[in-house]
This record gives sequence, C-alpha cells and structure tokens, in this order.
Amino acid sequence: MTRSKAGNSASETKAANELALVDAVMRRDRGAFAELYRLYHPRLCGYLHRILSNAAIAEEVLDDVMFVVWKDARKYRGQAAVSSWIFGIAYRKAMTAIRKEGRYQSLLDHGADVNTLPAKASHDVELIQAALVQLSPDHRQVVELTYFSGFSYQEIATIAECPVNTIKTRMYHARRRLKYLLPILAGADEEQNFEQA
Amino acid sequence: MNKHEPMSHEQASELLPWLVNDSLAEGERDLVHEHATSCVICRRELHELENLRDSISDVSAATAIPAPDMRRINARIDALIEKENRGQLLLANVREFFRSPWRSAFAAQTALVVVLATVLLWPQADEPEFTTLTDPQKLPEGQYIRVVFEPSLPASDLSSLLDAMNLTIVDGPSDRGVYTLRLSATLSAANRDAVVTDLSANDGVVFAQPVPSGVQR
Ligand SMILES: [Zn+2]
Repeated sequence: MTRSKAGNSASETKAANELALVDAVMRRDRGAFAELYRLYHPRLCGYLHRILSNAAIAEEVLDDVMFVVWKDARKYRGQAAVSSWIFGIAYRKAMTAIRKEGRYQSLLDHGADVNTLPAKASHDVELIQAALVQLSPDHRQVVELTYFSGFSYQEIATIAECPVNTIKTRMYHARRRLKYLLPILAGADEEQNFEQA
Repeated sequence: MNKHEPMSHEQASELLPWLVNDSLAEGERDLVHEHATSCVICRRELHELENLRDSISDVSAATAIPAPDMRRINARIDALIEKENRGQLLLANVREFFRSPWRSAFAAQTALVVVLATVLLWPQADEPEFTTLTDPQKLPEGQYIRVVFEPSLPASDLSSLLDAMNLTIVDGPSDRGVYTLRLSATLSAANRDAVVTDLSANDGVVFAQPVPSGVQR
C-alpha cells in the first residue's frame, strides 16, 4: 500500500505495534491479547455484523476469531500483515457461518423477478445495505473488504487465500451487479413513496 | 509492469475500486490515474465508485458497534490454559521418571516380565537372588549398577524411581549407603549406560556407576 509519506510511517508504526502485540500474545501475555482484542473489536465487529447480518452471531464469531488468534499466535510467522492474518481467520469463520446459516441466497441467483426485491427507504444507507445482501458471499466479501475495511486487492487475495486475478474478477462482477441493483432498488423506493403520497 | 507503458482500459478499469480506497501501490496508482484522465468511461466509473464509497462509509457509520466485552473469551482462554497446564504437569511427572524414550516403551512390559520371572523362577534358582554384604561372592549373570541415593530422598520416591526404571535392589545399602541394583534382563549394555546417565541426572541420586561384569560385590 502506498499512501502519503506521513500516512506510510503512521501505518508502519501501527503495523509494528500490532506485530509486537502478536509476539507478546505468542508468549501468552494476556494484557497484550486484551489490547489486540480492543484494537480489532470495532473493525471485526463491523465487518462480521455486515457480512452476517446478525449482531449476535457476529459477536460469537468475533470471539471464535480472537480465540484462534490466541491459540495460533505461535503459528503466525509474519508472512502477512497482522491485519491480513486476523481478517483471514475472520473471513473463513464468516464463510463457515454463512454456509451454516444457509441464508445468503441471492434472489437474483434464483431467477427472482426484480419487482419482488424489497422496497427501501430513500436513505442511501438502507439502499446500499439492501443491494449488498443481494450479492453472493464471495462478491460481498470483496466489496466489504475493499470499501469498508480498506484492504488492497493483494491483501484481500491473502485474506481469501486466492489469486489476485480472482479478486479482481469478483469485484468486477460485484460492481456490475450493484450497478444493476441500485437503480432498481431506488426505483422501487420511489414508486413506494409515490404510492404513499 | 513497465512504468512508461500506459495501462490498458481493461487493466485500469478493474483497479478503479482500489484507486478509490487509496490502496494501490504508487506506480500502479499513477498509471490508473493517467488512464482515467484520458478515458471517459473510466472517469465516469471512477465518479460512480467514489459515490458508492461515500455511501458505504455512511453504512459503516450506521453499523452499531457494541463495546468490547471480553468475559466470554476470557473464560474460554482460562479453560484452555488450565487444560494446557494440566497436560504439562502430567508430562513433567511422566518425564521425571521416564527420561529416555526407550524406557517408556519397555517400562510396563519389562516390569511384568520381571515380576513373573521372579515369581516363577525364584524357587528353582540354584543361586539365591539376594545376598548380603556379609556373604561376598560374584554377582549372578546380569547387568548391575551401584547407586548412592540422596539421604533425604523419601522411601516412597526411591521405590517409585526404581519401579519406573525397572531396577531391583540386590544388595545394600552398604555402610557408605551404596545400593547394588540389577537392571531388567531385556536391556542392553547401551541401555544400562542410559539408565546410569538418567540416574546421575536425578536430583534424588548422589552417585551412579555401572558395575563391570563378573565383579565381586
Ligand atoms: Zn478506461
């Protein structure tokens, strides 16, 4: 990642701090683990909450993720950034939870009529959320990790354990689908507002 | 990628989301920028993606993040540590007596053989198994070691140590506290040396030495 020079040194300091924390966790330092947990809680919580669409399950999965961090800290060899390592664990846990829940079946994947898509309020937030849940888990993960979590495509490839080209392709399809869905959802909303008026 | 070679539309287009989230490497970022300034499609796409990014940051802000609550995970870690500690304690206890790998494999088996052999053969033996210092003679066929235990070593620990190493007291203690111990018949001379090494390293042992074969007690 190459951002401004000041941004670079700040992110380097952050990375070094996280590395030191994982190193301490490896030596079974509970204080360092608590710090790492607090550091990652907001990011992981938001990510898992949005991916799983369920706050309670997200909290459970978050604890599962951090438990693996505690248990497997010794296996972390610094081959990837700490954030990619932790999000990689979260990614796999989230995918497992999605499969277990069996709830992420896009209406479009099943040839549903776009008119049956839920009508949403005019707020962008709800519109985007409504569109995101219509993406397949793979596509949604890439959008989530790019726009919400700010990862580079190389980092996402590491997190998802797949080639960078796969990530680019998934993003390409996700963009196309969002482009298709957003106007429809916005239109359904306008129609609803019109009917109500 | 050659820095001076312009990026194709396809290449630039697929990297736009990461230009928008500011995560491209410097060289790549410049190339995508360069292309986008001259490509109407990419410029429009970039504008749309920037709008999407802004909307998404609103979604992100709208996601309710509860305060971190570490009670559950702490309980899980406590349980894990307790389990690990139990395992380590058990391992340390086992190591205390089974310091070399061959012993753990033979310990149970040879203990049984020794007990059976003693019970079955002793009445028929021509020579008495146990002799005293007042009756010096050549040691019967077998492998022996001489050991002086730490005087403070409790009898129960001494007994456990002998059991674990398949050693039988055939003589002693002498006035100087020397025991003569016989090793299990199934062990080789190399094994005997290993027993001596392990005994020497044991905190309860002051001294341990192999007895050359055919030596008087
Ligand atoms: Zn272009």
